[in-house]
Amino acid sequence: MATGGLNLSSEFFQLLKAIGESKSKQEEDRIIAKEVARLKQKMESPPSNQTGPQAAFTNPKKLAKEFLVRLLYVSMLGHDNSWGLIRAVEMAASSSLFHKRTGYLVCGACLPPDHEFRFMLVNQMQRDLSSPNVLECSGGVLACTSIITSDMVPAVAGEVTKLLSHDSATIRKKAILCLQRFYQLAPEVVTQEEMKKHVEKALCDKDPAVMGSTLNVIESLSLENKALFKHIVPSLVAILKQIGDRRLPAEYDYHRLPAPWMQMKLIRILGILGQADIVASQGMYEILNEAMKKADSGINAGYAVVYECVKTIVSIYPNAALLDAAAEAISRFIQSRSNNLKYLGVTGLAMIVESHPKYAAQHQLAVMDCLEDPDETLQVKTLDLLYRMTNPVNVEFISEKLVHFLSQTPDLFLKQVLTDRVCKIAERYAPNNAWYCKTITQLLRVSGDLVQQEVAQNLMSLLAEGTGDDDEESDMLLRQTAVEMMVKQLFSEHAGALPKILLETMAWCLGEYGYLSAETSLDMLLEQLCELAETRSLPITTRKCLVTAVMKLVAQAGTCPPAAAAVIDEYTRSKDMDLQARCLEFQTILTHCPQLLPEIFPVDASAEDVQVDPNLSFLDGYVQQCLHQGAQPYDASIYDDDDDDDDGYGYGGASQPEPSFKMTPYEKPQTPAQAMMAMAGAGQLRSAAQSISLPPGSGGGSMISQPKADTTPQLSLNTRNVANVWGKGGLSQAPQPASTQTPTTTHIPTPAPAPSWGASKTSVSTPKAPELPQKTAEQLERERQAAALFGGIVPGAAPVPSAMSLPVPAPVPATPAAPPPPAPSAPEVDLLDLSIWDTPAPAPGPVVDSFDVAPASLAIVETVSDTEDEPVSVPAPAPIPAATMDDPFASMMGGLQDEPLESFPAASSKFEYNGVPMAPLQITTAQFGQQWGNCAATTPTSVQTTMNLTALLAKLEEVGAHPVEAIAASNEGIAAGMIGGAQLVLIHGRVTGSSVEMTIKSTDTGIATSLALFLSSAMR
Amino acid sequence: MIRFFLLQNRQGKTRLSKWYTPPTVANNIGTTPELEKVRMEAEVHRLVTARDKKYTNFIEYNNYKLIYRRYAGLFFTIAVDVNDNELSYLETIHLFVELLDSYFNNVCELDIVFHFNKVYSILDEFMLAGEIEETSKREILDRVKLLDKME
Repeated sequence: MATGGLNLSSEFFQLLKAIGESKSKQEEDRIIAKEVARLKQKMESPPSNQTGPQAAFTNPKKLAKEFLVRLLYVSMLGHDNSWGLIRAVEMAASSSLFHKRTGYLVCGACLPPDHEFRFMLVNQMQRDLSSPNVLECSGGVLACTSIITSDMVPAVAGEVTKLLSHDSATIRKKAILCLQRFYQLAPEVVTQEEMKKHVEKALCDKDPAVMGSTLNVIESLSLENKALFKHIVPSLVAILKQIGDRRLPAEYDYHRLPAPWMQMKLIRILGILGQADIVASQGMYEILNEAMKKADSGINAGYAVVYECVKTIVSIYPNAALLDAAAEAISRFIQSRSNNLKYLGVTGLAMIVESHPKYAAQHQLAVMDCLEDPDETLQVKTLDLLYRMTNPVNVEFISEKLVHFLSQTPDLFLKQVLTDRVCKIAERYAPNNAWYCKTITQLLRVSGDLVQQEVAQNLMSLLAEGTGDDDEESDMLLRQTAVEMMVKQLFSEHAGALPKILLETMAWCLGEYGYLSAETSLDMLLEQLCELAETRSLPITTRKCLVTAVMKLVAQAGTCPPAAAAVIDEYTRSKDMDLQARCLEFQTILTHCPQLLPEIFPVDASAEDVQVDPNLSFLDGYVQQCLHQGAQPYDASIYDDDDDDDDGYGYGGASQPEPSFKMTPYEKPQTPAQAMMAMAGAGQLRSAAQSISLPPGSGGGSMISQPKADTTPQLSLNTRNVANVWGKGGLSQAPQPASTQTPTTTHIPTPAPAPSWGASKTSVSTPKAPELPQKTAEQLERERQAAALFGGIVPGAAPVPSAMSLPVPAPVPATPAAPPPPAPSAPEVDLLDLSIWDTPAPAPGPVVDSFDVAPASLAIVETVSDTEDEPVSVPAPAPIPAATMDDPFASMMGGLQDEPLESFPAASSKFEYNGVPMAPLQITTAQFGQQWGNCAATTPTSVQTTMNLTALLAKLEEVGAHPVEAIAASNEGIAAGMIGGAQLVLIHGRVTGSSVEMTIKSTDTGIATSLALFLSSAMR
Repeated sequence: MIRFFLLQNRQGKTRLSKWYTPPTVANNIGTTPELEKVRMEAEVHRLVTARDKKYTNFIEYNNYKLIYRRYAGLFFTIAVDVNDNELSYLETIHLFVELLDSYFNNVCELDIVFHFNKVYSILDEFMLAGEIEETSKREILDRVKLLDKME
């Protein structure tokens, strides 16, 4: 065993033994805790005072040294020993060399980098560095490398520099490394020039060990500054040659290879210095060739040298013969049975293929073997190589392998990296579109949600838009291929367990082009999709996509099979309001006017531009008819105070826990038209922000500076309050504005790019915005320009008709100069049938309602976090958000809508929504109040007009609403309407003399928004 | 450059741990370099012991590359920079084991357990400041023995 026997105290021996035999970490910890207690106690008293058997065992100093060793042991097992380190510092000052080194050892190993004890050692190190005793001196150098920090370098650098010319080679070789460490720590103290000078001298040292350790320094300095050592290339070559010729003492041989570590360092330095330097490179070609040949002795150390040569050959100015030799070596590495060598081969190949791809070709199969090796290190390296060697020719092969590998690896991180890479090479090198579709589909299957949403979107864009070269036939062929692939996925086992991104893509694909499938009939598709749509384990967004696909297919098939009817019927009771609304609409259309279906779900029209009738003129006839039948014209004036009540609850909620009505009329507002009412409730806020905004320049800054309250946490509470207002005696008793904010309330929309609820804080009302109306015309112009400019960039931009009256959401409400919002999106392309999600109202024909989809960008902003938390009692605020947020494909719109909307004049007197006119709804004020809370979508609007209450109600009636009540006392009026038999519209207006403040509520956001716009233009 | 050198047994007990650069501690949140060392040592142990014999002896780990080699129940692990020559450090470990073998005369784990401070001394004559300082076995052993005589 060891030289000189055990030489341990029995206590330490027992400790080591006990630790060795301990069965668990807990037991080990207990033993160490005991040891720590024992050590603490013993080390506190000087060793000489020890009594008992231990003192007899050995002399006190020896015991003290052993304590330190035990201290180190404690630390190695992961326990704190800082309490005893002062003893180590003391011992470093010991006159006994061995104790001193133990002290230094423990200090170097255990002192944290910034521990103050390090400073206590500086003096001692200085003394040791200048000691005439070689061992003390080398101990000092050793300590310097592990104890000195950058602050202390100046204190010892001088001493260490002197040691470079010490008589003993041991000291010299340590000193140069020590100095290098100093240089790393404090380059301003030990400068690069100094180092260069020292290194040049040390390299010529007569002792090979000094030269050897100097090579480390040269390598590290050359990495920083290649120019520093260019001139010594010939010397390095000469040294390498001498080593090759076995001029070094035999003791440097390792397994009969002459000084492999020095060779490797030399070759490595040559590689650094020869980079992009033809002259330097030419000087080393011969020796590299020679070194590589000589090292090839079949042992690991030899391979290590060969590998180093390969790296250097690849990095220096290329030489064909050497590259061939390197490729040959790589080839042998790759074909080796040892994984280590394979790894080197793959790494080497990855280096060489970047500049010389020709060498990769022959190794593809061997490389694939490496890829299938269970060793992850090798796999990852190989994947890296594959990625680098991909080209249009091998992309199919490589991506197939990558996808296959992806299907097997459990490593998520790796999977993510790999997935991205497959996407990249598929996009860059895809030989044809069918292949691209296939690869992405496979990828969606194996990587699921690790695939970026854009990738699925790109795939769908490709299918919808075709290749762009107007070859409809090949586009159709591509779609058919995609459909067949998706059908295969649909009918695969456990289709319900497929990744949600795949299911959603599939749902879209089949919904749009399911009829292209040659193998499967629409009925079968429908049946399977219905089954899938009922899979409870799927997230609601995915089920929504599936239900939409079912609807589209029903429209395509022309009949509604019982299964589909059942699914749709079931989802009419969905907790998800959006889905519920869609299903209800669909049911209504199906029962009442099934002939409309093909128009609502046009075949292969997802990439078609959509014509919007902004005037809603299609409603005119209906409205007239209703008016003739005695329907009352819409009167917005009734609405206002109700909304004000909401304001009170919404904004005052935090500060005024007891909501109360304001019984006196408001003073006349100074701020007319554009001022918006602040609203209560999350849903209201949201929908407001979706649709309405201040013109840029309405002094948003000051508004923001008056935060009244944060409405965020009061979602459900507010809604309840809203309902209560109208319940027992809200309006009928005291239908008066309760909010102090109302008269001049301005609703500041969430700036488009602002995320989440924080933004809604800016939706604080403020009594400032007098200059708004004057700016409108100018803003309109700017909005139009921006629309043209940003068209196609921002998905789901502001509602177009806002241009008529309401300023469009400005990106930054506070900045007057801010450009108007991005592209209005009237010709919203219904690629993914978002319109269905967003528009519960039946959409006739391909007319997609831009009002719904348009606010998407805002909706996204606002609902990031709360879509899911939305209490069920607060209904529809979800629809748009749900569609835009959760629908992974929503942003696809961005690429498709590229036509800015023209603004259009408002002419029609009847409000129509998607071609469906608003019908008067004959309800009482109490009913109105009850319904008020049920309408989630709220849009406030303010119109500058001198219209009085009667005129307002007349106007509302004209528009198609039933004037429910006019409250002359507070100058308020309410009106109600119905659209399409399912969508409720409630209007509340308050006349101030100079303006009319209205709040439009609806079960559908799109309706509320568009009606607000419609009204504000109609009344102006 | 060598970042750290570890000697652990199969159960994860550290037999030697030499850090040439302190571990990077992210923003000092609840951890210290000392704790980080312990954590990383445990992680290295977990990584190296999980690997099959046929696998490569290299693991990419954080911004290091681990080169490990197993001798009986002991794992020798060197962490180096990512661009360093893996095979070269694999041989470095072997040379170190040869040194131990010569010094202890057929080294076994118990030698290292009971004389771990000697192992540190040998290592200090072999590597310095993260670089290989000496590769002559004779030279290293001579120096260590010279130190022993002073004891």
